[in-house]
Amino acid sequence: MEPMKQPTRDSNRGAPEIPSDQPETSSRVVPLRPERRKLPRSWETPPAPVPPPHLDDYQAIVGAAEIEELRFLARELQGKTVKMVSSTAVGGGVAEMLNRLVPLLSELEVATHWDVITGGNDFFEVTKAFHNALHGSDYELTRQAQEIFLMYNEQNRQRMQFPEDVVVIHDPQPAALIRARQGKSRWAWRCHIDLSNPHPQVWGFLRPFIEQYDAAIFSSQSFARQLPIPQYLVYPCIDPLSEKNRELEDSAVQKVCDEFGINRRRPIVTQVSRFDRLKDPVGVVQAFKLARKYVDCQLVLAGGGASDDPEGATVLKEVQEAAGNDPDIIILDLPPWCALEINALQRASTLVVQKSIKEGFGLTVTEALWKGKPTIAGAVGGIPNQIVHKLTGVLVHSVEGCAYQVRYLLTHPEFAAQLGRNGHEHVKENFLMTTNVRRWLLLIQILLRGAQA
Amino acid sequence: MTSATVPTLQRTPAKPFYFNTSAHLLRITRQRANTLSELLDALRECPDDSIFQHTFRTLQEHHFLREGFSNDFAHWALSACNEPSLAERLASVDVREFTSVPELRDRFIQILEKYLQRNLEAARRRADETFYFCASDTVVVPTGIVAHTMHEFAEGLRRVSVHSIHHHFIEARLRLKLMSNDFSQWLHEDVGLTETARALNRIDIYTATLEDVRGQIVRVVERALT
Repeated sequence: MEPMKQPTRDSNRGAPEIPSDQPETSSRVVPLRPERRKLPRSWETPPAPVPPPHLDDYQAIVGAAEIEELRFLARELQGKTVKMVSSTAVGGGVAEMLNRLVPLLSELEVATHWDVITGGNDFFEVTKAFHNALHGSDYELTRQAQEIFLMYNEQNRQRMQFPEDVVVIHDPQPAALIRARQGKSRWAWRCHIDLSNPHPQVWGFLRPFIEQYDAAIFSSQSFARQLPIPQYLVYPCIDPLSEKNRELEDSAVQKVCDEFGINRRRPIVTQVSRFDRLKDPVGVVQAFKLARKYVDCQLVLAGGGASDDPEGATVLKEVQEAAGNDPDIIILDLPPWCALEINALQRASTLVVQKSIKEGFGLTVTEALWKGKPTIAGAVGGIPNQIVHKLTGVLVHSVEGCAYQVRYLLTHPEFAAQLGRNGHEHVKENFLMTTNVRRWLLLIQILLRGAQA
Repeated sequence: MTSATVPTLQRTPAKPFYFNTSAHLLRITRQRANTLSELLDALRECPDDSIFQHTFRTLQEHHFLREGFSNDFAHWALSACNEPSLAERLASVDVREFTSVPELRDRFIQILEKYLQRNLEAARRRADETFYFCASDTVVVPTGIVAHTMHEFAEGLRRVSVHSIHHHFIEARLRLKLMSNDFSQWLHEDVGLTETARALNRIDIYTATLEDVRGQIVRVVERALT
């Protein structure tokens, strides 16, 4: 078994960015119309990692006062130490978020270390199964699975040290590390997954560990459980300076559209998400076809996950069949490093759709709102936290509802523009990395107050 | 009265104004509602911090909206329960008319009780989405900006974040237990500008964004300077 590399602060600053909603896969473009789909050079290899930004870099976006407030909030915590523990240093939303959060907290002189647990394939197979079961999938929890889980947690407990004032354990994989707790240190469990309908046996196994923490942190109110410890809400966030969200020159947007054969002179409706039935891409195609009876538009379905995920490939095939030979439906199966291309596609869009049937928080919605795009999304998971119906976007519950909103927003551009403006402000206030830093500073203060009490 | 004779520019406030701000973390509580009847029960039982969160705080979280958003209870009554008449009544509750959270809680309970007495079926009808009660844990922090003069006060108003404006202008009445705000109190008590203080209290927070409110406050203060 190969131990995973432990990130240091320097390595954090240079970690590669991985799109949050897409697993790592090899790239390809669905050759629906090969004459219009040239493989852009930028796809062939992942771009070089970009060092993460410093606090002052955010000033132009959120204002000097916001940054100054973070410094004041952090002042109380100077000299305190924090440890974050997760199960992976690269790939996925948690690592992506920690790659930005840890350097920013350290820059604020709240010394923050990030450790990654180690484990063999057997451990990660068990924790992957736990992950799916906690999302509600069927699973039979065996004694062997429990032993594997506990054995690796114990190995990590013996290997690691926890002298910090605050320890934050991310997700279920390292949850049993709470047994290492000593002295007055405060421990919080940060759950990034949807626990609204967990597998009872798996949750019953994990729950006694979770109850030993001082607090639990969830991404949505609906994910919280009945627990005897305080439960806090910390929304996931996006980084406005990342490759996926930073401002782009119009020429860069145009270049990507040209590469994919997208006509910017006609309205563009886009859904960005992996090819997964829970994202209902077939429903999006159906809604598009209903809407286009009355309004001219193109549909872009940009996602990944079809190359190495058998189910993703099946869903992609279903989407292609639903699309038929329609020249206005452009399906793109993108590799995970195409953050810039996703950014450009979102910015080129007239409307963005996220017609999910089940969703975690829905960071693709956050990304679209940040870019000021009128957004139509399924009222599931964390999406209603982001979309206040008819104020920051529109919520839909059906293919027909989605089709109607596409028609309405394309024919009422002033209303659509107002939604886009409000959505941008909503993200600026509540779902940016700087707000995330603010929430963590608060949480650390509140946890330490509990220690004093 | 010296306030009538000494020009505003030359006045020295009796005390400086310290600009603070408050930062809030959302705590998820045990209460939740799937019907209006459950909402009423939870409104009676939830901690004061929850009432604060779903009224004062949510207004701050949505400070960029000019219309259509007042408090989370009204929003839920409309979007999840499809009860526009009730939503309208709940939305009409103006947080500035309350100087304590228990009074504010009583007002929501009264509105809901009255509505459900006349609409028995609405009480039990299942909502499209659950209402999760949250509460706000608050930490007050200084901004480092202090006004010793009216000029510095105007400058501070321009510089601080909208969170600080919300802290002093909207949340303040819960601390002061007065139908007022920190800015007006300071202008009245420490600067002697009673009319300016009153003018600030007339600014409508429900039809303007918090940035607009800041702009209006600055204009009123600047008028007093000229």
